[in-house]
Amino acid sequence: MVTSLAWIVLVAPLLGGVLLASWPGEPPHRVTRIIGLGSVLIAFLLAVTIFVILLTNGADDRSFTSSAFEWISIGGVHVDLAILVDPLSVMMMLIITGVGFLIHVFSTEYMEADSGFRRFFAYMNLFVFSMLLLVLAANFFFLIVGWAFVGLASYLLIGFWYDRPSAVAAAKKAFVINLIGDVGLVLAAVLILRTLGTLDYAQVFHAAGIAQMGGAGSAGGLVPGGGTALAICLLLFVGVAAKSAQIPLHTWLPDAMEGPTPVSALIHAATMVTAGVYLIVRTHSLFDLAPVAGHVVAVVGAITLLMAATVALQQLDIKRVLAWSTVSQIGYMIMAAGLGAYSAAMFHLMTHAFFKACLFLSAGIVIHALHDEQSLDRMGGLRRYLRVAYFGMGAGCLAIAGFPGFAAFFSKDDILATALDAGALGVFCWVIGIVGAFLTALYMFRLLFRAFFGPDPKGGYDPAPHPSTKWMAVPVIILGVLSIVSGWVQVPFGWTGISDWLAPVLADVPHPLEPSNAAEVLTMTFSTLVVLGGIGLAWWLFAADPQRRIRLAAMARGPREVMGAGYRLDEAYDDIFVDTSHELAGVLTTRVEPNGPDGLINGTVAVVRSTARVLSAAENGMVRTYAFAIVAGLGVAGIVLALVVAGAS
Amino acid sequence: MNVPISAYLTLSGALLFLGMLGVMRRRNPLMLLLSVELMLNAGNIVLVGFSREWNDPAGQIFALVVMVVAAAEVVIGLGLVVAVFRSRINLDVDEMSSMRG
Amino acid sequence: MGEKIAFAVAAVGILGFGIGVVFLKDAFRAAVALIGTLLSVSLLFVILSAPFVAAIQVIVYAGAIVVLFLFVIAYLGDRGVVPGPDRLERFQVFGWLALGGLGAFGAIAILGSSPGPAGEPPAVTDVGSPAAIGHAFLDSYLVPFEATSLVLLVAAVGAVLLAKRAVQLEGGR
Repeated sequence: MVTSLAWIVLVAPLLGGVLLASWPGEPPHRVTRIIGLGSVLIAFLLAVTIFVILLTNGADDRSFTSSAFEWISIGGVHVDLAILVDPLSVMMMLIITGVGFLIHVFSTEYMEADSGFRRFFAYMNLFVFSMLLLVLAANFFFLIVGWAFVGLASYLLIGFWYDRPSAVAAAKKAFVINLIGDVGLVLAAVLILRTLGTLDYAQVFHAAGIAQMGGAGSAGGLVPGGGTALAICLLLFVGVAAKSAQIPLHTWLPDAMEGPTPVSALIHAATMVTAGVYLIVRTHSLFDLAPVAGHVVAVVGAITLLMAATVALQQLDIKRVLAWSTVSQIGYMIMAAGLGAYSAAMFHLMTHAFFKACLFLSAGIVIHALHDEQSLDRMGGLRRYLRVAYFGMGAGCLAIAGFPGFAAFFSKDDILATALDAGALGVFCWVIGIVGAFLTALYMFRLLFRAFFGPDPKGGYDPAPHPSTKWMAVPVIILGVLSIVSGWVQVPFGWTGISDWLAPVLADVPHPLEPSNAAEVLTMTFSTLVVLGGIGLAWWLFAADPQRRIRLAAMARGPREVMGAGYRLDEAYDDIFVDTSHELAGVLTTRVEPNGPDGLINGTVAVVRSTARVLSAAENGMVRTYAFAIVAGLGVAGIVLALVVAGAS
Repeated sequence: MNVPISAYLTLSGALLFLGMLGVMRRRNPLMLLLSVELMLNAGNIVLVGFSREWNDPAGQIFALVVMVVAAAEVVIGLGLVVAVFRSRINLDVDEMSSMRG
Repeated sequence: MGEKIAFAVAAVGILGFGIGVVFLKDAFRAAVALIGTLLSVSLLFVILSAPFVAAIQVIVYAGAIVVLFLFVIAYLGDRGVVPGPDRLERFQVFGWLALGGLGAFGAIAILGSSPGPAGEPPAVTDVGSPAAIGHAFLDSYLVPFEATSLVLLVAAVGAVLLAKRAVQLEGGR
C-alpha cells in the first residue's frame, strides 16, 4: 500500500511535467496552473498519507521497498527500477513536495507576466520528479539517474531566461561543475560495484555493516579504515561537494541566482543543494567504515561555513547574500554529517528548507514589487510598504540566526552540541560553528535592516512598491510560521522527534554521538550570546544611524573587497581551467579538425563520389548495353551453374 | 526413329542466340523489334515441342498466349517508333538514351 | 524418316532466314526474312502435331504482325537508314564473349543431359487439334483466355492514345 502510494508520488510530477512540456502551443494560464500545481499537490498529499501510515505502524515496520521491473541484467550486474520508502526518504519526500508545492503556488503569481509560463512549470515539475527519484531510489544506479536529472533541471531553470548571456553562462557553469561531481559519484558507484558486486542499498549497507563488525572476508574487500572504503567515500564526497556547493566546487551557486527567484528558492536553497547531505546520511554505513573521510568532510564543511559567511557579509545583491548564506548553512549540515551527527544534519536540513525558502520568497516579493531591483543600495524602509515580506524576512532572519525559540536555534544547536561529543575535531568544529553563528546573525540582519529599516533610498521608489497578492503572500506566511515552529520537534531536555524518527535508518551506527547535558547548556548559552551580539552589532551598524556604515566604509577596504569577490576563487578558476580550455578548443578547431576527422569524412565522400561516377557509366541509357548486360549475366550464371551440375554428377 | 527433343531444344537455342545478337547489334528500333520476335518464336518452339513430348495441351495454350502478347507488344512498339519519328528524332536507339544516370 | 527430313528443312529455313533478319541492312528485306523465319517455324509446329498453333502462327504472326511492320517501314521511307557510325563498335568483343558464354552453357546443358528414354515414339494424338485446344481453353485455362483478351484491349487503347498524341504533335486535332 505504502509503496503504491510512493510510486504515485514519484510519477505524478513526471506526468505533469511531461504533459506541460509536450503541450502544443501555449495553454491558458489556468490550465498550466491546474496541471503544474495539481501534480505536486497530489504528490504532497500522498506523501503526508505515507507519513501518517508509517507513524501509525510500529517503529520496526517503517521500511518498504518496491521494485517495478528489472532494468539491467548483464553478467552479474542486476539493477532494478526500485524505490525505498523509509523514514529518511519520507522526510525528504515531505520537504520536497511540501516546500515545492508552496513555491509552485508562489510562482503562479511571480511568473504570471512571463511568456514562458508553461515552460517554467514543466521544468519545475520535472525537477520535483527528479529530486523525488533521487531520494526514493533504492540503489545507487537510480540515485545517480535522479542526481543527473536534477542537474539537468537546474541547468534548464538557471538558464530559463535564455536570452540573457549572463544566465546562459551561469547555467553552463552550474552544469559543468556538477558534472565533476557526477564523475566522482559514478566512480564511487563503480568502485562499490567492483568491491561488493551490487548497487542495491540494502545489500551494500548490509555488507558494510558486516565489515564494520570485523567480518572483512565476507564483505569482499571492505575493511574498516581500509583503502577501498576511503576511496569510495571520498569519491562520494566529490559528488556531494559539487551538488551541495562546498569548497572548492561552490562557485556555481552564487551565479545560479540568475534564475528566477522561485527557482533559487526551490532548487538552490531547499532541495537540490541538500541532496549531498541526504547522500552522506544515506550512505553513513560506508562513511562509518572510513573515519578519515568523515574528518575530511567535516573540515571542508567547517571551512566552507566560515568562508561563505564572510563573503555573504559583503554582498550587495539581495539574492547573492542568500546564496552565500545557503553555502554557509549547508556547510553546517556537511560538517555535522562528517562528524557523524546524522540526525542533527537532517534536522538542520529540514529547518533550513523552511526558513531559506521563506527568505527567498520574501526576497522575491521585494524584487517583484520593486520591478526587478535586487541591489541593497537602492532599498530601504520597505517595512512600511511590504508587510508580508517584512514578516517573512523577519521570521526567516530570526530563524536562520538561531534566535532562541526559532527554528535554527534548535537545529544548529543540535549540530554544535552533538559535535562536542566527537573528539578534538568536534570541538574545533564547535568553535567554527559558534563564530559562524555570529557572522550569520550579522549578515542576515544587515540584510534585514538595510532593506526594511531606515529611510527610503535616494530618489525614492518610483513607482511605489505594490504589495503582493495572496498567491505570493500565503506561501510566505506559511513558510514563515514553519520557520518559527519547525524547530520545536526536537528540543533539548525535552523530546527528540527527529532522532526518534530517523532511528531505524541510523540504527547501525557503531558509535552514535549523544550530546551531553553539559554540552547542551554550553552551546545554548554561547549561541544565544553570539546571536544577540550579532543582531546588536548589525543594529548599531545599519539601523541605528543609517549613515554610520558609510562613514565606516573606508575601514579595511582591501580585505573586504577580497571577501566580497569570494576570495577571488572565480578568477582563479577562470585562469586555470576556463582559459586553458579555450586555448585547447582553439587549437583543436583550427589545426586538428580540418586534417583529422574532417579529412577522413571528406576523403570518404570523395571515394564514394568517384565510385558512383564509375558505376554510373553502366547506366548510360542505351538499350543495347542493357541487353548486353542481360546476356552476359545469363551467360556467366549459366556457365557457373553448368559447371556445378557437371561437377556434382 | 523420330527427332529427339534435344534437337528442338538446340534449334530453339540457336534462334534465341540469333535474336539476342540482333538486339545487341541493331540500332534501328524497328530492327530491334524484329529480333525480339525471333526470340519469342524460339520460346514458342520449346513450348510446343514439350507439349507434344508430354501430351499436354498446356504448352500450346501458352504458345498462343505468347503470340497474343507479342502482337500487343508490336502494336505499342510500332506506335512508339512512329511517335519518336514524328518528333523529328533520329531513329537510333543509342540516341534515345535520356533515361541515363 | 519423313519427320527428320521435314525437321531438317525447317531448321535450315529458320536459321537461314534468322541470319537474314539479323544481318540484312535494308529494313524491308529484313522484314521479309522474318516472314521466312515465321513460315519455317510454322512448318515445325505442323511436325510437332500442333496444326492449330501453326495456322495461327501464319495468320497472326506472318499475316498481321509482319504486315504492321511493313506498313511502318513503308511509312518511314528512307529514314530507316541509321546515320553515323556505331558508338559501341569497340565493345563488340564483349558482346561476342557473352554470347559465346551463353552458347557454351547451352551446349553443356544439352550435351550433358541424358537423351531420355529413346523408346517408342510418342503416340500420335490429337492434342493439337482445334477441338482439343478449344476444350483446354474453355475448361482449364479460362482465365488466361480472358486475360489475353484484356491484354489486346489494353494494347488497342494504347495504340489509339499514341496515335492521338502523335497527331496532335503534327498539328492536327
